[in-house]
Amino acid sequence: MSAVGHPREGVGDNRVVDAARGTVTAWRDLPTVELSGPTVAAVRRSADAAAYVAAHTRSGEELLVVAADRLTADLRQECLDLGLAVETTGDGEPTREEPPQPRPSEPGRIWLLTSGSTGRPKRVAHTLDSLATVGGAQPPRRWLCPYSPGTYAWWQVMTLVATAPGQDVVVVDPHDLDAWPEAALEHGVTAASGTPTFWRQSIMRSADTLRRLPLEQVTLGGEPVDQAILDQVRELFPAARVSWIYASSEAGASIVVHDGVAGFPLEWVGRRTPGRVAIEIEGEELVLTSPHGAEGLTGPLRTGDRVEVADGRVRIVGRIDRDEINVGGTKVSAGVVRETLLAHPDVRWAAVRGRTAPMVGSVVVAEVVLHDTADETTAGQALRDWCADRLPDAAVPRRIAVRPEIPLKETLKSDV
Amino acid sequence: MSSLNRDRLRALMAEVLAAQGKELPADESAVLQEFGFRSLDFSELALRVEDELDTELNFEAAGLRQVRTVADVLDLLEEIQAA
Repeated sequence: MSAVGHPREGVGDNRVVDAARGTVTAWRDLPTVELSGPTVAAVRRSADAAAYVAAHTRSGEELLVVAADRLTADLRQECLDLGLAVETTGDGEPTREEPPQPRPSEPGRIWLLTSGSTGRPKRVAHTLDSLATVGGAQPPRRWLCPYSPGTYAWWQVMTLVATAPGQDVVVVDPHDLDAWPEAALEHGVTAASGTPTFWRQSIMRSADTLRRLPLEQVTLGGEPVDQAILDQVRELFPAARVSWIYASSEAGASIVVHDGVAGFPLEWVGRRTPGRVAIEIEGEELVLTSPHGAEGLTGPLRTGDRVEVADGRVRIVGRIDRDEINVGGTKVSAGVVRETLLAHPDVRWAAVRGRTAPMVGSVVVAEVVLHDTADETTAGQALRDWCADRLPDAAVPRRIAVRPEIPLKETLKSDV
Repeated sequence: MSSLNRDRLRALMAEVLAAQGKELPADESAVLQEFGFRSLDFSELALRVEDELDTELNFEAAGLRQVRTVADVLDLLEEIQAA
């Protein structure tokens, strides 16, 4: 059934918890928003956007949700020129700017903005149906939504609450993230989704609080997922199902793995099952044909993500355009070096890049954040030795800087 | 721009080798290849100098030349800092 003009049955009791305001609102009691034509909802708070999602499920009016501080003047003008009104929420009534040439909505259309980590944000066309990828009855859960409003990951959580009975959400704004474990504990979160960087930073700051969370489901995605972080999450939440998901605005949620092991089974490559994603590897690139992809995506999608195959698993190690470091003619994968560092027991977080150097063009350098128990004065040499035992000479980081904290962008990624 | 003197450059070169369990010979005429100082090691040394000076070195200023001995390395780095 199409989402257009058809509110989903049984979701009225789903709760939206605004962690910042401490409010709990049933889906059916969300503030009434009347969408009159194509609209950009530029929201100051993530929870404000829930009412727009509810309005979309009722009316099917065209909608783009975005955090107000991501809506640059250029992007705002572009949306207005495309016939979308811009509604900005704040402490009082929303302000609304009409487009110069209003037009009717494209029924059911939801626009997503790509994260913008690679440059200018791009609009990607979806519908509620293409975003709601979880099928079948779901066990009742209260989800944490720490993502920036309007991103693919944000929609993944919100569509679950908008379409599946028994799914609540605790909304935390990206700028309030430090306190999410306490908010999650207070509001009874049982399922949480975040990037590996998000989890690493959370564990570093609030491991004791996290241990008390009764999580049944932990999901990681949005960045390459390594074995070390999967193991840490498993140790912290022994009763939870730990999943990692490969998803993007263009490909949709395409690969989901529940076995607690980094990567996915090699036998999934080349498999053809109706209604499911087809996975191919071309050269070193992951290529997907996804039934959950954005509109207009009909054929295989070259993801731009590099994979490595080892021990019967396919691991996604990083972006092709950023992953390869040419060290004197030897190709080094930054993702593989990073995974090697992360496998060291003293390392919480790592970033690896090439740095311009004479004679060889680039050398591998790294930044790390260490566990509290690690000795910072000896860590550099210890990590170098660790890598030298496991990697080719050219891939061993020649400079390793120790950072005090894990950097986290609003996308919950750290561009590693 | 501040610069590192020859003793400091030598100490940094020794650090690059020590990280791999190797020693820097005392004799500046020692041939790099014979004690395992390779292109990658030279690159690392350059980064160490850059980090200490907090600036990027311009190796093009030195032109093409053969770097064969400890003295060649130290001469080159001194020259580039002065450029």
